[in-house]
Amino acid sequence: MAKSMLEVVNLSKVYKKNKAVDQVNFYIEPGEIVGLLGPNGAGKSTTIAMISTLISPSAGDVLLQNHNVIKDPTKLREILGVVPQEIALYGDFTARENLEFFGSVHKMPKKLLKERIEVVLKQIGLEHEHKKLVKHYSGGMKRRLNIGVALLHEPQYLIMDEPTVGIDPQSRNHILETVKQLNQEMKTAIIYTSHYMEEVEYLCNRIYIMDKGRIIASGTKEEIKSILSSEKIIVVKFNRHSNSLIKELMDQPLLSNVSVKESEVSFTVAKDTNFLPLLMNLCDQYKVVLNSFQVEEPTLEDVFLHLTGRALRN
Amino acid sequence: MFLSLIKKQVKLFLRSPSELLLLLAMPVGLILILSFALGSIWDGNSEFKKIEVAVVQHNDEVGQMEEFLNTLSKRIPVNDLMVQNIEEMLPVSTLLNQVLGNPEAQEFITVTQLEVNELELARNNGKYNAIIEIPEGFTVDYLSSLFLEDEEDIPSFQVYLNESEQTTSVILQNILDYYQYQYSLFSQLGKNQLFTEEISVPTLDLTSEIRTVASKEHITSSTYYTFSMSVMFILFLASTIASQAYLEKDSHIFDRILLAQVHPLVYLASIVVSTIILTMLQIGILFLFSYYVFKIPFTNLLLYLLITFMVSLVIGGISALLSSLNYRSNSATASNLFSNAFVAILALLGGSFFNISGLSPVLAEIGLWTPNGAALEGYLRLIQDGTISSIQQILLNLGILAFVFILLAFLLFPKRGGLA
Repeated sequence: MAKSMLEVVNLSKVYKKNKAVDQVNFYIEPGEIVGLLGPNGAGKSTTIAMISTLISPSAGDVLLQNHNVIKDPTKLREILGVVPQEIALYGDFTARENLEFFGSVHKMPKKLLKERIEVVLKQIGLEHEHKKLVKHYSGGMKRRLNIGVALLHEPQYLIMDEPTVGIDPQSRNHILETVKQLNQEMKTAIIYTSHYMEEVEYLCNRIYIMDKGRIIASGTKEEIKSILSSEKIIVVKFNRHSNSLIKELMDQPLLSNVSVKESEVSFTVAKDTNFLPLLMNLCDQYKVVLNSFQVEEPTLEDVFLHLTGRALRN
Repeated sequence: MFLSLIKKQVKLFLRSPSELLLLLAMPVGLILILSFALGSIWDGNSEFKKIEVAVVQHNDEVGQMEEFLNTLSKRIPVNDLMVQNIEEMLPVSTLLNQVLGNPEAQEFITVTQLEVNELELARNNGKYNAIIEIPEGFTVDYLSSLFLEDEEDIPSFQVYLNESEQTTSVILQNILDYYQYQYSLFSQLGKNQLFTEEISVPTLDLTSEIRTVASKEHITSSTYYTFSMSVMFILFLASTIASQAYLEKDSHIFDRILLAQVHPLVYLASIVVSTIILTMLQIGILFLFSYYVFKIPFTNLLLYLLITFMVSLVIGGISALLSSLNYRSNSATASNLFSNAFVAILALLGGSFFNISGLSPVLAEIGLWTPNGAALEGYLRLIQDGTISSIQQILLNLGILAFVFILLAFLLFPKRGGLA
């Protein structure tokens, strides 16, 4: 069980003139699941590579109960498991051979390794498929084994970098349930990076939102959503699409973050604003019928849009 | 843990059919092709078409001998010993049985006896490389010129050579010149009345054997190409292992290994050791193949093993150096460049295609500083009954090369993992 807090202090990474990570501060308590949310290229992977001691930061520290792990990574590596975004497995080995190899480089005693392999194969749902070569696995199965390898030595901290990229919904659900179970039953502390806000929202106690190498918001889901507490999200449907009407909506000072998704148009308004008369007038003016409208709670996606002016998945 | 890294590497290699094809099937194929294609030229026993010789005799020689003996007996008494000696110096029989018909010559000359009426057709159709026409009364005239004082003229026979086939013409010309010399010698001896009834004519016993100038064991094409192809294809192994190592970085497997508290240099050492094992295995398989197919004698196995180990050490060093460069450049450029360009250059300098040491002493010296060239030279010295002292310099060269490559690899290898 995790006993020590992992802390990141003013972490930066500069590649030539490009600041990939800029003054990131971050912490994770034992037993927590913390989300690192941000679009592709936000600096998430570089941040976790530095936290896991694989690359040196240009500035800043990573502390494990005040022990500097940049200078001496041994202590952290003993209790850390990393699930990289890439499938870090040997395609010409079976699942069992992969687990045996990575277990043996971890210097796990043979008997313990054998027991752990059975447990992990069950955890990731590959107990009946362990004799197949990994190159013949589906994308989802490979992702599950990619996680399994990181679980072999029972890490107290687990870093998962986009573990559900490019897989089918069924495998995705299996992975999310496995992560949840690990945290609840094994009390494994997990840093979960993703650009899928619904995954982060479902799994994480606390969330850090990253953009362009910086943390732009952090806190619990509720705290982050409260950034938009003075506003509400309105989603409306018209009988037909009208570019002129959309342009008019975008020009209205009362409305912000106007976006069009198929037949729906959404926008943000201040909580106390009565926007309906304005909307009805515009419908009359452009001969468009308002079919429906609903008021929605802001999501993390809305918060990201609000903070950066861009969608999470561009 | 170190053993696991090596086991993994060997297992990965053995499960990769394309690599096995390149590193084992291709050299085997090339050894076979080159040995058979260039073997006859290399070994000096060219399997060219047999030389076809036709002989046309206008008279039966035995009948002519009897005719001569009748004439001779009228002048001098003829005893059995004399008859026996005359039988042995019959010119056409000597030509057919001892010159063209001896077992050595039979391997490359086929003699066909033709009737006189077939001569014209044979001359026109070009089937024969040479046609020897023995004129009427040739044997009687020849024997008369040897034994009868009043017979002055030495008879001659006619040879038609097919000039369109120059090589065979030259060979035949030489053979017949030799015969002519012997034949003239006897004639002169006869003219000077040096023949007596006691004289015995030695039979011509032509044998030949190919020997090298220094009287060392002859190196056959199959021996040469077994060694040269083996030492060339182990170079590909170095780039293959380095490419696989880069894939481990690219897919973040290397990061996983580092996170398991494996020092990067331990990982690099595992590349060196597994390459040594695989190189020795590769050479072993290729040598075993040649041992069974070409019966190449690997005497003094320990010395072969010593050279194999030393050259494997160099290949291990190259593999580690290429891995270091790949890891530094974050691409497989170094190993690709090595297999696509450097292997060909090293193969040429090292004499893998042909022995370049004869071209210039400088090239020969450079060749000895290539891993394949040094190993090839070492193996060739061993097959010629070399001893440890004859391969000392080779072992030293290989040792220096291995040391330099391994040192550079360890200095250049990045000490952390990270994003590909």
